[in-house]
Amino acid sequence: MSTTPAPKALRGLGNYIDDRFHLAKTGEKNLRKVFPNHWSFMLGEIALYSFIILLVTGVFLTLWFNPSMGHVVYDGSYERLRGVGMSEAYASTLHITFDVRGGLFIRQVHHWAALIFVASLVIHMLRVFFTGAFRKPREINWLIGVAIFTLAIVEGLFGYSLPDDLPSGMGVRIFQGVLLAIPVIGTYLMMFMFGGEFPGEAIIPRLYTLHILVIPGILLALIVAHFMILWHQKHTQYPGTGRTEKKVVGTPMYPAFAVKAGGFFFFTFAVIAGLAAFVQINPIHLFGPFTPTSITSGLQPDWYMGFLEGALRIFPNWFDFTIAGYAVPMGVLLPGLGGMGLLFGGLAAWPFIEAWITGDKRHHNVADRPRNAPTRTGIGAAGVTAYGLIWLAGSNDILSETFSISLYATTWFFRIAIILGPIIAFIVTKRICLGLQRRDREILEHGYESGTIQQLPSGEFIEVHKESSPDTVHVLQSKPPARIDIDSTDENGVEPPSGRGAKGRLRARLAHWYTKDNVSFEGVRPHSGHHLHHGATASEEESVKAH
Amino acid sequence: MKWITARRRHPLAGYVVVIIALAFFGVGYAFVAPNADRAQAQTVAAGSEEAPVDISNGKQIFVQSCASCHGLDGKGTENGPDLTGVGAAAVDFQVSTGRMPSMNPDVQMPRRDPVYTEQEILDLAAYVDQEFGGGPAIPEQAPGLAPQRSDFEDESEYKAAKEQYEAAYEQYIAGGDTEAGMKLYMTNCAHCHSWSGAGGALTDGRWAPEIHEATPREIYEAMITGPGAMPVFNDTTITEEEKQSLIKFVKDLQAEPDAGGVFSLDRIGQVAEGFIGWTVGMSLIVACAIWITAKQRAHD
Ligand code: HEC
Ligand code: HEC
Ligand code: HEM
Repeated sequence: MSTTPAPKALRGLGNYIDDRFHLAKTGEKNLRKVFPNHWSFMLGEIALYSFIILLVTGVFLTLWFNPSMGHVVYDGSYERLRGVGMSEAYASTLHITFDVRGGLFIRQVHHWAALIFVASLVIHMLRVFFTGAFRKPREINWLIGVAIFTLAIVEGLFGYSLPDDLPSGMGVRIFQGVLLAIPVIGTYLMMFMFGGEFPGEAIIPRLYTLHILVIPGILLALIVAHFMILWHQKHTQYPGTGRTEKKVVGTPMYPAFAVKAGGFFFFTFAVIAGLAAFVQINPIHLFGPFTPTSITSGLQPDWYMGFLEGALRIFPNWFDFTIAGYAVPMGVLLPGLGGMGLLFGGLAAWPFIEAWITGDKRHHNVADRPRNAPTRTGIGAAGVTAYGLIWLAGSNDILSETFSISLYATTWFFRIAIILGPIIAFIVTKRICLGLQRRDREILEHGYESGTIQQLPSGEFIEVHKESSPDTVHVLQSKPPARIDIDSTDENGVEPPSGRGAKGRLRARLAHWYTKDNVSFEGVRPHSGHHLHHGATASEEESVKAH
Repeated sequence: MKWITARRRHPLAGYVVVIIALAFFGVGYAFVAPNADRAQAQTVAAGSEEAPVDISNGKQIFVQSCASCHGLDGKGTENGPDLTGVGAAAVDFQVSTGRMPSMNPDVQMPRRDPVYTEQEILDLAAYVDQEFGGGPAIPEQAPGLAPQRSDFEDESEYKAAKEQYEAAYEQYIAGGDTEAGMKLYMTNCAHCHSWSGAGGALTDGRWAPEIHEATPREIYEAMITGPGAMPVFNDTTITEEEKQSLIKFVKDLQAEPDAGGVFSLDRIGQVAEGFIGWTVGMSLIVACAIWITAKQRAHD
């Protein structure tokens, strides 16, 4: 860092502040915090940056947006809808779009940033999942992450509902339908939320308060907590020389990382702004205002709500029943709330389920390579497949129209695929992981294939293997033991107490299933394989090449 | 078309410059936006109603190319339905949209260029109407196909007819009421043809076609004759005036430019937006993350 002293005035101010807050010490420590050098550790940052963009553009929108269901006759500058009756919310969104300088652009930035925000949360979570970074001591941060993800989706749904245009109304209608489907309290809950019959006058102002104040406030608090915990616990890191459970290797926060991060922020902003400038999103002026009699095909919720829509579309109504005069529409209830519950509940519970199965109570600061946890990786792949399929199912009318497939056929395809697809994904992914493990073991034992073919005196041809670099050896050797010793007996031949009882047996069985196929690296010494022994020393190799 | 130009707005033009500068700031990456202006052929067109119809010519065409499926007596065969009482509007709709003569009686016919000239269609319609019992008449008040250059001997005659047609078209479209039209369309048509008129999938492998190319007259005729899987909306369900409003709404919406950017994603909406968000947005940003961290590694 620079050795020229700062101007006197600045130094004075600095000293004044430092005397009181002792910032220099904490500051220096924090500025030297290291960040790992791997792109997959930047994914969470995309979420942070798009959230900041959402906050800034959102505040801009609040200056003109009028969250009211009051009826007005439009007489603004958008000619096509002049004289049309609509809500003030919709009219003010038209005003933002056509009369506020830069309004349309900011609206599109806000919306694209919302799509990118949730997308980046998803891939960030996938990185954390597949590398096992949610394990102890980071379970709490994982839970905070799940909460952020959940709230982000709800926030998006509510924002989408604000302009009171056609898709807004359709979205709110589905929201209302799902509320109504809740047994016993559904009707009251819906009346409470909407302040009366659908659509009423209350829903937009209420969603507005939630959208601009309550949820962003909670999100902000959660994000701050997320970062503080991260700061305290530091990142995980991929295995490598010098990287241990105790020591983090990377670039210091200041100046190198700060510069990169700043550049990355601008790039993220440029991509979102570029999309907003060139690609039309949510053209509310074309959709027109919502009226309760409107029903249309060809409209979907934003992508992050697509899985809900898909679940509603393909779930059969075979399980609906009526009890004591109350209809219980399981066809809405199960996919509507069950789908959400399964996704968020499953995500939240996973670290604890896994820790219970593996009995792993240790601290982990080194990330797993996904192949070294094949069952987890397989389950993750199955989850991604299920999510992807159900999301596609939410656009089955568009698929049917675009590819000229019958609508019924798509429904049945998705009903079957949603069961088979994840199973296939699990099996295939696990196989691939195990294959990679076997190859790792091969490389560890024999070195890597050099591509040189050598003829032995016996006439046999072999490929010359070379020794891998120490770094590679380190990474390969970092593989955790293949099996968990859960059902081992102690020296007296007594089962451990944890293995007894129905729960214990279930756990033992799960633990067996979880690790049974792992390739054991036990007893494998680096570069001890016979190909190396037959051995191409450097000079021999030369002579072979010379022939 | 003046009414488009008058309303075209470019609220975003200025920002493009700023964004390009930003993009340079981020990675110095150049953005070349390909020109995706899709020329949406706007079939706006004319009718020469005055010409007298020639029923015998209509009969000749019917015998030649319709009777094989609909029967000489129009009572239908196993390949085609009974035409008793379908009326001139049905024939005009089916033949001017190129659906008839059908190529394959077992599937829904897509829209094609018409096989016959306007005059021939009128002759045919008059014949069917007279021979097989009358039905809804051709809604002459709604403009049909635009005059074709090939139908005219000299340029000036064509130009005059075209101008006259365009005036009639604008007058018809200007006549309706957007709000009434919007409500009627959203209540009666959008669940099949989608909010934008882009069409949509129906059951049993059928589909509701896009209605962008249909002339006002064809839209009108579709409503009063209910082709294929489409229900009939006769003049009592939706009055003549309401139909005009509905047609105005459809045609205005279609002519409306996409203010939000040069890539309108064909107005497919959220599915396309999500797709672009992931494929373009996320991939660019992740690629940048890879690029930044790779750079870093080279240094240490
Ligand atoms: C290959 C057989 C075939 C030929 C040739 C054919 N049609 Fe058709 N036509 C059909 C079928 C099948 C339908 C029913 C279409 C549907 O329901 O989607 C039909 C429907 C119609 C209808 C609509 C009937 C209604 O109830 O609204 C009219 C009008 C019509 N045809 C007129 C004609 C005319 C005029 C011709 C000659 C130019 C013709 N068709 C040639 C098979 C044919
Ligand atoms: C049940 C779904 C359904 C509804 C509701 C419906 N349509 Fe259709 N529409 C269709 C189908 C199916 C066709 C194609 C018929 C065929 O080709 O046999 C069609 C064809 C059309 C066409 C011809 C398009 C072309 O260019 O070839 C127009 C125009 C049209 N409809 C307008 C309307 C209007 C206006 C309404 C509302 C008043 C409406 N439709 C309501 C299903 C529907
Ligand atoms: C996590 C963050 C957020 C998400 C995912 C989100 C999402 C959305 C979406 C999808 C819309 C619809 C936009 C459209 O019309 O195309 C919207 C509208 C809106 N948002 Fe947000 N938003 C977020 C945060 C905020 C914040 C923090 C504010 C204000 C402080 C805000 C204010 C608004 C306003 C006023 C509208 C309505 C105006 C309009 O639709 O044009 N948003 N939001």
